[in-house]
Amino acid sequence: MGRAFDWLDKKFHIKAPHKRFLKRRLPEGLSYFYCLGGAAFTSYVILFITGLLLSQYYIPSEMEAFESIVKIQREVHLGWLIRGVHKWSATLLIIFILCHTLRVFISRAYKSPKELNWIVGCLTLVLVFASGFTGYLLPWDQKAYWATTVGTSMAATMPVAGRHLMYLIRGGMDVSGATLIRFYSFHVLWLPVTMAALLWAHFHMIKRQGIKGGL
Amino acid sequence: MDRRNFLRAAVKSIIAAAAAGVAAVAAYFMYPANVRARQLIYCECMDEDSLPKHGVKRAEYRFELKGKEMTAAVYLVNHEGTLYALSPVCSHLGCLVNYNRHTDVFICPCHGGKYDTAGEVISGPPPAPLARLPMKVENGRVYIGVMLPAVAA
Ligand code: FES
Repeated sequence: MGRAFDWLDKKFHIKAPHKRFLKRRLPEGLSYFYCLGGAAFTSYVILFITGLLLSQYYIPSEMEAFESIVKIQREVHLGWLIRGVHKWSATLLIIFILCHTLRVFISRAYKSPKELNWIVGCLTLVLVFASGFTGYLLPWDQKAYWATTVGTSMAATMPVAGRHLMYLIRGGMDVSGATLIRFYSFHVLWLPVTMAALLWAHFHMIKRQGIKGGL
Repeated sequence: MDRRNFLRAAVKSIIAAAAAGVAAVAAYFMYPANVRARQLIYCECMDEDSLPKHGVKRAEYRFELKGKEMTAAVYLVNHEGTLYALSPVCSHLGCLVNYNRHTDVFICPCHGGKYDTAGEVISGPPPAPLARLPMKVENGRVYIGVMLPAVAA
């Protein structure tokens, strides 16, 4: 493993700068509250992997979505486990990212020069909520359907173009098969990819600016 | 080994074990759950009277797969008095061969494999003859034996 990695590193030169980062001295006064972001990221990774697996069996179609979920629960090897892990890490991700945001807010880590990282973090928070919201529709049962009907109708309360925004989100006038496909696409493609880019930026800035104050 | 190196090795092995565990669970999850042994099942095909007196005749038989009605083709051949059923599945990569009445050969549309009416390869890439399917006649009806996934008891 080590030797194979060294061979790759000759081309990528990725080891030295990260070694410097990983082996640096941590500033005084850190506590476990500074691990919340890492915990949230771990949840993201678990969601990513279990999501990749679930997408092997889930069918985003009006007629088959619910049935495919039942099949995952009952027939697929360890399907109940993978789906359960996906569901629970989603809950944990929301909890961790909220606590992490709170920690950053309390320790005033959003102040210059890290204001951009705060903004990136807030965008990620919004995308995490969006992932939760879109993922909630996918089981395509009564609860999912009505939660999405209610949730998307909130968009209609926006002044001027609210109604059109709601139609845009739903992909139609009502929640339908079109909404299901739309939400599936957001949930497995748009949101995870955008989040990956944002997280890369988030971590890159931490490397450059340090956990507390500048480097 | 000092304490530092020991801890480093321990952490590395724990991570490796966890990764291997995740990979094993993922592979198990992705492995289809409905893999069952196949067994020989006889499917009703035609009347005994409709069997070819000589030459090749294409016939179809029905069977059930996962609760769905399926049809498949089979070639019944009467070669100088001996009767046998040839599977149309090409032995090369599994395309379905067609019988050509004018040249009296089976031609595979995919890579041009040719078989004679005994199922033997004449030319082309097929490595083996066409498979002969077991058949039986019962109460005047012809049955073709095919390997289908065993029905769950
Ligand atoms: S599959 Fe028939 S010749 Fe290749």
